[in-house]
Amino acid sequence: MPRVEDIHQRTWDFGLTVLTVALLASLGIQSFVGTLWVWVSERTYPAWSQGTGYAAYVEVMNLIAAPQVIALVVVMGLCVPKRLFSRSMLLGVSLGMIVVGVVVGLVTDSLGRGLAVYLGLAAVIQVAVVLMTVAGVRGPSYLTEGRLTKTGSGLLHLGFLIFGIVIVALQRSSLMLPVFWTSAMLVTVGTALSFYANRLAVHRAAPQTEILFAEDGERP
Amino acid sequence: MRMNPQQTYESIAQLVDRLQAIGLPLQLVLAAAAVTLAAVAYLPALAAWRGRALAAMVALLVGGELVLVWFHYRLWQLAVVVDPATGLLSGHVAPPLWIESEKLYVWALVTAVMGVALRRHREELLPSVMLAVAVLTVGGSLFSQPFTDPLPGFLGQYTGYLQAMATGGQSASGAFQGMESARQFYYNSWFMWVHPPLLFFGYGAFTISFLASVQMIRRRHSAYETTAYRWARFGYLPLTFGMLIGFPWALAAWSGESWWWSGKVNMSIMMWLLYTALLHARLYLRQRGMWKAVAALAVLSFAILILTYATTYIVPGAHSYAAVDVTALQALSTRPITGGRC
Repeated sequence: MPRVEDIHQRTWDFGLTVLTVALLASLGIQSFVGTLWVWVSERTYPAWSQGTGYAAYVEVMNLIAAPQVIALVVVMGLCVPKRLFSRSMLLGVSLGMIVVGVVVGLVTDSLGRGLAVYLGLAAVIQVAVVLMTVAGVRGPSYLTEGRLTKTGSGLLHLGFLIFGIVIVALQRSSLMLPVFWTSAMLVTVGTALSFYANRLAVHRAAPQTEILFAEDGERP
Repeated sequence: MRMNPQQTYESIAQLVDRLQAIGLPLQLVLAAAAVTLAAVAYLPALAAWRGRALAAMVALLVGGELVLVWFHYRLWQLAVVVDPATGLLSGHVAPPLWIESEKLYVWALVTAVMGVALRRHREELLPSVMLAVAVLTVGGSLFSQPFTDPLPGFLGQYTGYLQAMATGGQSASGAFQGMESARQFYYNSWFMWVHPPLLFFGYGAFTISFLASVQMIRRRHSAYETTAYRWARFGYLPLTFGMLIGFPWALAAWSGESWWWSGKVNMSIMMWLLYTALLHARLYLRQRGMWKAVAALAVLSFAILILTYATTYIVPGAHSYAAVDVTALQALSTRPITGGRC
């Protein structure tokens, strides 16, 4: 019989996954609406993309995307290291990081700097999570099986955080290219590991039994 | 280096004529083969021939691709860019094999090769894969016309450059700057030789993933979802890397242009987000009712993939062939060459 804690854990994991999917879909909808906006504007106003209208549009899109990106990073932060800390502590840490990011953003009057600081803090935590996963420390929890697969998942999420930093803070920096390539390699190697590491593993995770989907989603 | 624009133009025009002489019958053969492939896919009496028919289609598509390789190689030899101020050769132009009118053809080729390599649920998936290849082949050869109307954008721009070089003066200087910029940042850029094939590799895998998802919806069995997932992850990796490497390239090549949140970029991000959502959602496939959400995401993701491809031709922007003033591109001779986005 499953323990109550396990059931709570599974519900929490499922909730976070649904939230992740919802946030990704929401960003997707924003992108779609943005495309329609560009299309209509280009048809309505000649040379719209050369004028101030485009700059205003980009600013609004960035403003709408920023909280969603932060929410995604928060969800990721709650997802993986959840067995390192208590849930309330994790929420507290996440909230603290947001506050630091907002303060930096307000002080410097720059959404980009605030986001960069927030992403930097998230990346530091993610580095710790990856190191602990590689070392095999019991703590980080993943939805996937196998240390290599988990390491891959950790690396690819770290890669995306660093890529986020490149976008918001390093576009005009001489560090842009090396940091970018680091992030691209982390994402690519991490994705490859999380997809295919099970094939390389000595002790492979057993494949799930295939099932017929019943109308209500229950196993027949 | 002394350049003879008229002679260069005539050599390229002869090359295009030779391609068209080969391409017109090849185009008809490809169209006939596509119709035959679709028939073999769905006629029960020919079921035993499906694998061989798809393999034959791959051979034909590879043959066509080799013709394009030859055309591009000859074009690279002929298409030089010379600075009118110094007379020095800047270099040859090397248009990649998967731009403009060749894009859909490459997608068809990649999907066909993957169809031949398909093992899991091969029998059930082969008919729909063959139909998809047939549709892509008809689109890639008859509608895009890579053999009879090759690289309209490049040839239009290069002809404009030759015309300006023949005229000389300020117009030659301006045309040189435009052509040299396109040569360095677009045609000869390593990015253009890597980014599109990675994406088409992803598109091919996502096509098969979508077809497996359709089988999952029809048969309501998780085994088809597993197949769909395997193809989706196979496509997700090159898609992600291909899109990522676009970022530093865009910063360099589109400096000063409005590309951030542009139509095509938006749609590409949306497509990637949806496939990311799909790969996350399937972790809970066995949760009550989740398979329907996974199925819906799979269908939606592929629909957006198609729309993303189409956006290039519909929504104007830095990453788009839409709304280009083709009348600005003039030919040297009386025979006009239609233009497009470089």
